[in-house]
This record gives sequence, structure tokens and C-alpha cells, in this order.
Amino acid sequence: MNVYVTDGSENCFYTAVFSACTDKSCLLLSRSFQLPLGAQIVCVQEEKEKSDRVKRRLLQYDRHSLDDIGLILRSCSPEREMVALRYIRRIVQERAPVRDRRADASVSAAWDLRGKVTLEAHRMKGFLRFMEGANGIWYAPFTPDNDILDLILPHFLRRLGGQPFVMHDLSRRKAALWNGKDCVIVQTEEKVDVPLSPDEENFQNLWKQYYESVNIAQRPHEKQMKGYMPVRYWKFLPEKNGRPF
Amino acid sequence: MEAERLKILTESAKYDVSCSSSGSARANKKGGLGNASIGGICHSFTPDGRCISLLKILLSNKCIYNCLYCPNRAEADVPRAEATPDEICQLVMAFYRRNYIEGLFLSSAVTKNPDYTMERLVETAEKLRKEYRFNGYIHLKGIPYADPLLLTRAARTVDRMSYNVELPSERSLKLLAPQKTRESLLLPMKQLALQKSEFTAEHKGKGKGKFLPAGQTTQMIVGASPEADGQILRLSQAMYRKFSLKRVYYSSYVPVVRHSLLPDTCTGLLREHRLYQADWLMRYYGFSAEEIAGEGENLPQEYDPKCAWALKNMQCFPVEINTAPLEMLLRVPGIGTLGAYKIMKARRFGALRFEDLARMRIVLKRAQHFITCGGKFYGSENTSAVRRMLALEEHSQTSEQLSMFSTLDTSASVLTGQL
Repeated sequence: MNVYVTDGSENCFYTAVFSACTDKSCLLLSRSFQLPLGAQIVCVQEEKEKSDRVKRRLLQYDRHSLDDIGLILRSCSPEREMVALRYIRRIVQERAPVRDRRADASVSAAWDLRGKVTLEAHRMKGFLRFMEGANGIWYAPFTPDNDILDLILPHFLRRLGGQPFVMHDLSRRKAALWNGKDCVIVQTEEKVDVPLSPDEENFQNLWKQYYESVNIAQRPHEKQMKGYMPVRYWKFLPEKNGRPF
Repeated sequence: MEAERLKILTESAKYDVSCSSSGSARANKKGGLGNASIGGICHSFTPDGRCISLLKILLSNKCIYNCLYCPNRAEADVPRAEATPDEICQLVMAFYRRNYIEGLFLSSAVTKNPDYTMERLVETAEKLRKEYRFNGYIHLKGIPYADPLLLTRAARTVDRMSYNVELPSERSLKLLAPQKTRESLLLPMKQLALQKSEFTAEHKGKGKGKFLPAGQTTQMIVGASPEADGQILRLSQAMYRKFSLKRVYYSSYVPVVRHSLLPDTCTGLLREHRLYQADWLMRYYGFSAEEIAGEGENLPQEYDPKCAWALKNMQCFPVEINTAPLEMLLRVPGIGTLGAYKIMKARRFGALRFEDLARMRIVLKRAQHFITCGGKFYGSENTSAVRRMLALEEHSQTSEQLSMFSTLDTSASVLTGQL
């Protein structure tokens, strides 16, 4: 039994798929794992030619397939590569889009993961909080479950493109830097020190006041609040007394 | 703006339940701030379970009207405050830059006279768009009796407007809000609906300018007056059809003001919840108000309105998942719009079995009693047993963990194993 191990990048994944797709009993992974008995480890290096061929073929069968698989690979599930591989096998088998075959186990598993990623991306568009830095750059730290930084970045570029900002995924130690002209994604330290503008505290307090005032205390429904806004996201919300630093 | 005034102006605005920021796809402009997201975005949730999407605030709470149910009515002894258009604009900009909000929900008490008030509201919105170059979402409240030209001006600037019909009948309106008439609320809604359709016809394909891209909504207080759910739903249906409203909001009555003409107790949240469920049935499931409840009837508390309809119309069930038309799938209790579409697509590739439905994340607890899969039935034949099970299931959803102070009702249900 072969175990393909990738470096976690998308192209490396597609390179591995080149062989794994027809290797029926294989495993495809990108992180530490427990080896099954008799496993043969294959460390996959990215090969452009192979990954391009896989991608071209997939696009031929389903022009949205690469987007879907990209979303699945952003998931935090340790199963993500296997789920994506089984989904690809189904596409190759049918030589056509399979997304509507929700009764199929590989398709529904793929769609569950994809759904979790897009749900978090949508939520984070609402829950991300920017703070005004002393240097005029706006800083937004967050710790998403899935790797969604580059998914939500275009939304904020369209919306807040006029202000330079940094969106910082603390758990993956990467940040998107936007200076008003160019945008880059860089690796960072685990913690960075950002001095805040003297106005920031005032506006955070006004926001807390607003949050308190707009609530109707006679009709408590905390369960619903937590359902829509899970507690793990409160860390960076001033209205929930989140203290990022 | 200082915290104290923000508190007064927000606390007066919070009973307006409309909070959505959807329906508009306004793009950002060069040098501007913000855009509108077509699906709307929620930025936070308050402990009452409602979302915060917009900065909901009044320009002023100094009112000349005396609507009995309103905490800001002229006779009430409450702290009064007002804000200038610039203060509002600056607060919106500061909150928006921090990604606290999607935009502004601006309303006002009627100060001096309706035209003056409406003009101040429109001025604030225009200032925000032109001077502050804000392209996010703006929801503006309409003031009854204001000049029609002011409405047109407002509609060209903002994304959504709303007039609240407040109470479900003319009689209750006369009793509780004597200075407002049905006409003063419905005529402007009609005007805006008409102008919007004219504008769309005229500007089709030209892409210049906007006229209320996110349409109109309205709100009704439920439980302050004696109207039954059936009557309320008929009114909603008429407004959806006549004014192409995007939403009708139902707000269960909370006694903030004591008066002999008003009830002393809160209307239960369950009633409001049932009305919303029925509203969804009318908008997305092809139900008419007449099918859901009789004119003088209230919606049942034990189960949701779709279950209630299905139990009354058992001759239509069970439906075969693999052949039923979409309209019928939508009428199966427990199957939602997304579920119905998923089933329609998936069954093209092969007959669906009961296990397949579970894998597709179709909730079968209720649905199992109303469907067959490949001719096989998985529910209970006995209608009264189904009725009992559905009511129980609903009950277990609303029940909480037992505490020492639980009422007899919940303690008894533990003994009978219903929890």
C-alpha cells in the first residue's frame, strides 16, 4: 500500500493525484499520521507537468472542479486530501460533473467539507474586526478553523480598498498586507506588536455601548446567539470583550 | 458622538426589527468606502438572538405623535436626544472601517412636522453618499405624510426604505396610533412600488442610477391588538402581491409602556416564530395565506404551520420521493427548499433510497411520515400517532435542561419519558 505525502500545496496535491488517482488502495496525506502496516511512503515533489495534466483533464470534465477542490483543500479536516481524491476519482469515472449526485458518498463527503469552508468564509466577512494602528494601517487578527485568508481577501479589498490594512491569520502565521496599491501574503511571527491609534479605544467603547443598547433584554435567546456566532469567534470581538493582545 | 446619546438614540430604534442588509449589489467607487453585498452580512449577534448588520439609530427621539405603544411618544417622560447628520455620518464611517457594520439604518421620531423630519433623513443619507463617499448599505425609514418628492429623492440615494404598517387592522391603528392613518402608511408604499417599476422599465440595460435596489419592507406588532394570525397573514400576502415587498417583519409585543388599552404581558416568541414560518411558506414554498390559516384562526403552537397543513391534508401523502413534482416536495414537512432542489437533481442519476436521503442531509424526523422511497414507507401509518410524535419533537426542541426551578410541566414530561 502506498502512502503519498505532499507538502500541503495545491500543485503538489495534483502531482500526487497523477499517480494516486488509479492507485486504488493508496492514502494521500499532507501531515503527520500513523503509518498503516506495510505502508510504502512516497514523498511527492511538485512536478508542474503532472499537476498541469491532472488539472487540464479535470477542467475538461467539469469547469468548476478546480474551484471546488481548492475549497476542500482549505479545510482543516485531516481527511481533506482523501476526500478530494475520492471526489476526483468520481469525476474521472463519470467524465462529467458529479456535484448533483449528492446521494453518492464521495460527493456528499466532499460537499460537506466544502460547505464548512464557505460557511466560515462567509461568517468571517462579518466577524473580522479591524483596529486602527498608530501608523494609520488597519490591523485585523483572526484565527479561522480553515485556511480562508485568501478567500475573504478580495471581499475586503473591494470594500475597504481605500485604507491600507493587514489581515493576520494568527494560527497559520500568515498575513495579507495591503498598502493601497499592492497586496502580498507573507509568513509572520506568531505574535506581532501593533501600537494602536489613540482613537481606537473610544470607538471600541462606543461599539460596546451600541451592542448593549440594541439588545432587547426582555427576550433573551442566548442559544440562538451562540448558534449564529460560535464562542470560538468571540476572541477578537470587542463587543464580547475579546482582547486580541 | 458620546456614549450617552448613542444609548438613547439606539434604545429608541431597537424595536424596529428589520436588520437585513441584503438585496443590493452596490459597487464601491474610486476614492469611496464600502459596497453592498447582495446576500447581506451579519456582523454580530446580540443576546436576544438577533443579528446586527446595520447601525440602527434615530436622528432624534423628540416626537410630536402619541402612539400608545411607543416608548418615545410625546407624553412619555423619557430622556430626549438628537444627533446632527455629520455626527451620524462620522459614526457610520468609523464603524464601517472597523467592519462592525454593513451600513446604516436611519429612522427618526417625527420632530416639528413630517416634511422637516423626512428632509433631515434624506439630507443625512445624501451627505453620507456624496460628502463621505460611502457606498455601503443604507436603509431609510419613511415618515408618514411626508412630501412625495422627498420620497423620490430618498429612493434614488438609499438601498431600502420601509414604512411600518404597525398594526394589522385599521381599527387597532386608530385606537393605538391615532395620528397615523392606514392611507398615510400605504400610499407612500404604493408610490415607491410604482416609481420603482417605472424606473426599472425606463432604465433597463442602461445601468445608470438606482432606485431602491433592495426594495421595501414593513413591520407589524403582533399581540398588542386582538387580530388573529390568519388575518395578519392575509394582510402580509396582500402587501407582498401589491407592493412587491421584500419582507414583512413581525415583532412580538413587548410592554415598554403601561396603558389601559395595551396588554401587560409579552407576546410569546413562539407566536412570532410561527408567523415567520408561515411567511416563509408564502414566499418560498408556494403556499397561500388561505391554506395556512383561516381568517380568524391562530397558528397552532404544537407544530409548525407546514406540519399543521400536512396533517389536515393527509390525503395528499405520502409522496414518492423519486417521482413527486417539486411543488409537492416543497410541501413535505421537514424538507426545505435546498433539500427539495437537492432531491430533484440527485434523483436524475438513480432511484433514491431512504439511506441516501440521510446522507444528503435531509432531515427525516418529520419527513419520514409523509414520504415513500421506491414505494416503501418508513413512517407511522397512524395519523394520531404521527400528530403526537411531531408535537413531541417540537416540544423537545423548545425544552431546556432541568433546574430546581423547572415548572411542573417539564418535570412531568421527564417522568413520562418525553424529554
